Amino acid sequence: MEPDAQLVQRCLRGEGPAWEELVRRHSRRVYNICYRFTGNPAEAEDLSQEVFLRIYRTLASYRMAYGGFPTWLTSVTRNLLIDHYRRTRHDRVTDSLEDVMPKVEEKHSPVRTPDKAALASELSAQVQFALSRLSPDLREAVILRDLQGLEYNEIQEVLSVPEGTVKSRINRGRIELARVLQEMGLRPE
Amino acid sequence: MTWTCVQIEERLSDYLDGLLTAAEQREFRAHVDACPQCAPLLAQVAHVIGRLRTLEPEPAPAALVSKILDQTLGPRKNKRDWFSWLPMLWQPRFAMGTVTVLATLLIIFQATGVRRSDITAANLNPVRIFHAADSHVHLAFARSVKFVNDLRVVYEIQSRLQPANNPAPNNAAPSSAPSQQKSPNESQRDHSTNGSFAFVATLIPDAPTRSPR
Repeated sequence: MEPDAQLVQRCLRGEGPAWEELVRRHSRRVYNICYRFTGNPAEAEDLSQEVFLRIYRTLASYRMAYGGFPTWLTSVTRNLLIDHYRRTRHDRVTDSLEDVMPKVEEKHSPVRTPDKAALASELSAQVQFALSRLSPDLREAVILRDLQGLEYNEIQEVLSVPEGTVKSRINRGRIELARVLQEMGLRPE
Repeated sequence: MTWTCVQIEERLSDYLDGLLTAAEQREFRAHVDACPQCAPLLAQVAHVIGRLRTLEPEPAPAALVSKILDQTLGPRKNKRDWFSWLPMLWQPRFAMGTVTVLATLLIIFQATGVRRSDITAANLNPVRIFHAADSHVHLAFARSVKFVNDLRVVYEIQSRLQPANNPAPNNAAPSSAPSQQKSPNESQRDHSTNGSFAFVATLIPDAPTRSPR
């Protein structure tokens, strides 16, 4: 597989197929970050398009010294998500926890035994709900660390904050998330 | 030094991510093993992290890549798009459907006696198709009516009902010639009082006249 850096160089020479390859390679990851942050598939799709539009326009400013292309891409995504959050926070309505909280199915339900795909989908919805209860700072830290699997130093680059802040946010985010999910019925077996 | 619950909470992720020194880990474990608040918290956070890492990434919308490429590289006139439906033809269900339709058409052609050599471009004229279908429907109806009327049981029922339906001539002239002596033409005229039979007679010129049994 051709490295991202080479594809970027080819893009800068005006090669359309190289850009297409970059988009195909990274669109799912960008979409997932947006989806986990916003919790809305349509919004996530629009934001993913915006991210790539911004990347396309600023590709010339990308420098290898900055870090890997995925880190840069994640950083652009994160900045755009924060902008979007600030723009739209007044539009959001805070629902009461009891009204909208998806309940965890009883583990040994005698009525039905959902298959693995259904359980995974249910867990995904619960996690999405719990993430939406976190503040944006904690949410993005948990998404990057535990859903995207980034290392601490990569998150530090993406968020442009000191290492101690990254650790603290991840830790607080995890504890918050664990508490919300516990309230929803997700507990260790 | 003995750690407090606050310290445990602050260093929870460091412990889970393996960032504590060996000595710190021992202190951490010593507190957690003895603390009724911290033990369940650690278990819950570890469980949640484990579940998060099992989550598959959501699939991106199918049109996302094309939308991005359209916005950045401009709308693409891709030749492949015109033929994107072609792979559908290779699906087994489509092949099965095609075979079924062909078999049905074959059976219909066999049943209706249509030969391939009979089919010309003129046959596709909608007016001709309509007329042909119309005459076939009427012919089929007329044949079925004639078949039913020719059944012995139907004929006998009609014969028995005949006096009741048309009693006047018999009552008016009881001494006249019996109906068995009627000529074949008269007989046909009698049956022609039945509307359906009259209809058959008009449609089928060569329909055999029914003689009284």
